[in-house]
Amino acid sequence: MTGPVSITIDGEAVTAPSGASVAAAMLASGRQRFRDDTRGSSRGMFCNMGTCCECMVWISHGTGWTRLRACLVAVAPGMAVLRQEPELA
Amino acid sequence: MTGTTDKIYDLAIVGGGPAGQAAALQVAAAGLSVCVIDEQPLPGGQVLRQPAAAGAGAGWMKAAPYRRLAAQHAAFVAEKRIDWIGGFSVHTASRQAEHFRLSLVGATSRSISARRMLIAAGCYDIPVPLPGWTLPGVMSAGAVQTLLKAQGIVPGERCLLFGTHPLMLVLAEQIVAAGHRPAAVCFAQSQRQMLGRALPHALRAMRTPGPLLAGLGAMARLRRAGVPVHFDASVQRLVPSTDGNGLGAAEVAIAGRTCSIDADLAAMCFGFMPQSDLPRAMRAAVAPAHPAGWRTLNDAQMMTDVPGLYVAGETVGVTGADAAMAEGKIAGAAITHDLGALDAVSHARIASAAIRQRERLNGFADLLAAMADPREHWPEVEADTLLCRCEDVPCTEVDRAILQHVDTAASGGASAAKLRCRAGMGPCQGRGCEHSVMRRMAQARDLPVADIAGFRARFPIRPVPLGSLVDPD
Repeated sequence: MTGPVSITIDGEAVTAPSGASVAAAMLASGRQRFRDDTRGSSRGMFCNMGTCCECMVWISHGTGWTRLRACLVAVAPGMAVLRQEPELA
Repeated sequence: MTGTTDKIYDLAIVGGGPAGQAAALQVAAAGLSVCVIDEQPLPGGQVLRQPAAAGAGAGWMKAAPYRRLAAQHAAFVAEKRIDWIGGFSVHTASRQAEHFRLSLVGATSRSISARRMLIAAGCYDIPVPLPGWTLPGVMSAGAVQTLLKAQGIVPGERCLLFGTHPLMLVLAEQIVAAGHRPAAVCFAQSQRQMLGRALPHALRAMRTPGPLLAGLGAMARLRRAGVPVHFDASVQRLVPSTDGNGLGAAEVAIAGRTCSIDADLAAMCFGFMPQSDLPRAMRAAVAPAHPAGWRTLNDAQMMTDVPGLYVAGETVGVTGADAAMAEGKIAGAAITHDLGALDAVSHARIASAAIRQRERLNGFADLLAAMADPREHWPEVEADTLLCRCEDVPCTEVDRAILQHVDTAASGGASAAKLRCRAGMGPCQGRGCEHSVMRRMAQARDLPVADIAGFRARFPIRPVPLGSLVDPD
């Protein structure tokens, strides 16, 4: 295991322990809000075990944006996370 | 290439918790090839979610209820003959002429072939709708507990635990041990209701007194730590924080009087239901589980009605991790015998010991299920309360779909409502809302919930990013 990992969330630098999930990195940095729903209401993670799919965020790690369950993805150096769908390039 | 191999395993196990580990150890000891697939990167299941983040200690694993599980976990991790495939979801699986074929997605896509398949996929917290339950900071008790176990964090200063399940006492104690003080523990049932429901099972439960004593001890220690434990306390509404982006408080009716409890984190705990999407999508026979969801039916060898497809643990009904371990042993011995690597006498010896172990635990499992019974305590929802969290479908639209359906056809079940209002069509595939839709449908038609057919399970059962659906073959 290595030291802390640096990622960005909505462009802001966030540091998380190696092995932390993206969801844990978001929560530990004070971000309970993971996305906005179709009614414009704030939404967060619910189950933390891959079942509810509430925590899906956009993640890019060198290969374009993919919508993934934040609770199942471990942070990796250089990873970028967006809470809303990225503008299509 | 994206990880396809030509290897055909003797056994593929879905789920690396207590049941999957027990079965894998049995099968590997006989020299058969076995892989264990799990969505989590590390083995243990939810009950032994391993510290993933540096700094998250596993002191909780030393507590008495975890000792037997922890010993098996250590043996599983040390067994080099088991192929661990962590961080992968099974999104599709089918029985083909010669073997089972499983399609997985994780950081990459891959597929697995195996002569036999065991589903030991565990259970999940019943997601119970109530006004305000979609606010950030409102989570399942399992979420709060696994954040604590695996990541070493409690994402709030004032955690309210509410529901009907005594697991709340265990979780509240773990939160206290982590240096936080929960706002309160609110049991919706009264103490009289809880004890009355427990009484018929009390004598049999005393065959395994450990968890009962642990529960009583936890309650005393919480009181000493200054954590209020309320009974007859129903959370009626979760209220947003002033900025609207999180939880601020909960309106709770305690013995009929409504009061407000400040909270920035809420852990909902009304019990658990089996993960049933994989067996159902593979068309294995299921029956209604208590108190919600579906349990997969099995014979004495833990095999389903799909030849070669086995089940163990909470998949067959939620009875706890120790029972899951025993069922995993029964399944593992049966599969080893089925594949010709265990003689009949040895099989009978291993199976009968595990069955005795399993039966010893029935008393406590029945007692806990009765004490925790949420069925008279589901919160009231409002017209705009979301039932389907994926597709943002409010209660009123689900009710309208149910009424339209009643007008046009007498049968058809929850799938008919799903087609009309989109509840259950999102990425969770109805794992969240199916039981709520079924319950509202049963109410509307004045039928028992058991008479309502559920959603039709279909693949992929877990979300697959676009581009990963292409089979690497």
